[in-house]
Amino acid sequence: MLSLPQLLWIAMIWAIIIAGAWLLAKYLFNVYTGKRSRLDRFLEPVERTIYRLIGVDPSVQMTGREYFVAVLLFSVFATALCFAILVLQGYLPFNPQHFTGMRWDTALNTAISFSTNTNLQHYAGESTLSYMSQMAAIQFEQFVSAAVGICVAVAVFRGFSGRFKGIGNFYYDFVRSITRVLLPMAVIAALVLVSAGVPQTLGGYVTASTIGGGAQTLAVGPVASLVSIMQLGTNGGGYYGANSANPFQNPTPFTNWLEIALMLILVTSMPFLFGRMVGNAREGRTLLIAAYVIYGINIAIAFAGATTLAAGMETGLGAFSSTFWTVTATSTMTGSANAALSAFNPLVILAALFGMFIQAAPGGIGVGMVYMLLYVVLTVFIVGLMVGRTPEYLGVKILPKDIKNAVIGFVAHPILIMVPLALAFSVGAVSATGVGTGPTGFTQVLYEFTSAAANNGSDFMGVAANTVFFNVSTAVVMWLGRFIGIAVMLVIADSMLHRQRVAQTGLRTDNLVFVAVLVISIIILTVLTFFPVLVLGPILSSLQGLGTI
Amino acid sequence: MTLSDIVGKPLAMALIALLVCGLAYPLFVTLVAGVAFPFQASGSLVTSGNAVVGSYLVAQNFSEAVFFHPNPSNYSASGIDPTITLADAYSQIPRISNASGLSRSLLYGIVDNATSRTEFLFGTSYVNVVSINMYLIRRYPMVYGRYASG
Repeated sequence: MLSLPQLLWIAMIWAIIIAGAWLLAKYLFNVYTGKRSRLDRFLEPVERTIYRLIGVDPSVQMTGREYFVAVLLFSVFATALCFAILVLQGYLPFNPQHFTGMRWDTALNTAISFSTNTNLQHYAGESTLSYMSQMAAIQFEQFVSAAVGICVAVAVFRGFSGRFKGIGNFYYDFVRSITRVLLPMAVIAALVLVSAGVPQTLGGYVTASTIGGGAQTLAVGPVASLVSIMQLGTNGGGYYGANSANPFQNPTPFTNWLEIALMLILVTSMPFLFGRMVGNAREGRTLLIAAYVIYGINIAIAFAGATTLAAGMETGLGAFSSTFWTVTATSTMTGSANAALSAFNPLVILAALFGMFIQAAPGGIGVGMVYMLLYVVLTVFIVGLMVGRTPEYLGVKILPKDIKNAVIGFVAHPILIMVPLALAFSVGAVSATGVGTGPTGFTQVLYEFTSAAANNGSDFMGVAANTVFFNVSTAVVMWLGRFIGIAVMLVIADSMLHRQRVAQTGLRTDNLVFVAVLVISIIILTVLTFFPVLVLGPILSSLQGLGTI
Repeated sequence: MTLSDIVGKPLAMALIALLVCGLAYPLFVTLVAGVAFPFQASGSLVTSGNAVVGSYLVAQNFSEAVFFHPNPSNYSASGIDPTITLADAYSQIPRISNASGLSRSLLYGIVDNATSRTEFLFGTSYVNVVSINMYLIRRYPMVYGRYASG
């Protein structure tokens, strides 16, 4: 249960984040609409050089299909580069601990995991990855997958808006996402983290002779530069196996709350950016409120039990922040952790699963808002059916082909979770990992595929899932979970771009009534879809814990 | 769609991003951090003389009666949590006082000075075991002299 100071604390954190996100959205709007800026003097020559090197004209508008193909191919090459570095790290520099290359299936899983912004980790970084891999494989993909997420969101916003001449150019959006948004923010955040105690060094692990007379290995490395982009870009894959429970990754309450703020700031700015791009701030605010209402419901579910966790956490972080972190990391698709998932009250796991089923409250970087728009399309359709009017959004008629595409995007998620879940149990892959067969074991496997399909990456199985079956199956799920949603939304946005716009007549979508309708339809759609598996997993665990069954 | 659209452009973009985000960025942060915050950047190391005896951020095995003991390693998610609750620290004071000869009131004062809270104004009160033990070693050489090397 939340106490009054805790409630006020959450309100204060949210107020700071929302105010910061509003300011940031103003800046983002200028970045993606090409407004002149004082930074141009330094950044334009750099950006022009990059465009020349890759041979693109950034002013050329892409079609939805071209944009999608560019996103997909870029991600394929990023994955290949990451895979190569992980497998070849034994031959590359910056490897003071002399780690050998990763096994092929773990490397495949890791490369896809990070290029899809998932960051599921079937390895422990400090005992597996060289500094080169932590930088050029992991941090590289944490930047580019975050940038791709923002690009897709901006392209979709342009399509919904209709105020732009096209949905944009992927390379233009991507380069500016790196140079003007992610790099500057990540550098500042990384240096603040170092100042508070997070290591950042290329010197090898330190061996200490402890006071008690033993030897202790201190795994340091380029940690702060990873933690900043891992949180900012809603990646979540940590430097250490214990993620931000490891005191080097998260040494104090200050870093703890800063890291929480980092995972919320960009995703919270996205609805404000949407409002600016469609030319009606109220439309953006509606979606922000809807996202935070659902996020708040997840918080309430997580704290409904008497205790959220008693052990399995860091004393200096505490149960309150660990629970708040877990819900935030699963509501934003970051998936990082500062406590052990296995130690939580099943209600916290239930809240985490809700966040990952919905994927839009507020969801992962860029993609979260894209999923929110998918729910908007479905909601105006359902409401349109009820009142007998042609559904429309922002003055654009929603056509049957849009609904078909949105349904594909919606249905893909449960299919990508439940089919491999059933497969894992039926082929005996679960028993091979040593995961139990009771409701807790079921929840662990359900969580694994949900986290993969939602591109969240928080991990309930950990290194137990480092088997060929789980590495390959979750890799496929992560890839499809990433690109099916992106594809259908780019197609919808592209086809809306040139559709005739009329004054809004039907359901208003910029007021609190629509917030209520949207929230209720999102909850009904997801709860109905996932109720059976929830009963078999966390709900059963919870009832057993209460002694009811 | 040309071959350059399918291979050249996305591959070149990925390579440039790798150089910028995967190498230039972490190396730049390492350089600045090393100059601006050398102590934190290298892992908040505890030194005694010329020897590294641990990190202020990582629990170590303080098993002797004169020290504050950390939690057993399986209590936390990291296994190396250097923090204990204030209540836990208080509960160890009688033992430390008996073994070291330092008065209980003195130890209570030291613990209170070393206490922080997880939400700054409220939340769990906790003490960093490494910091407080190193403080004892340095402040009371008569008692802890044999633990200070160099």
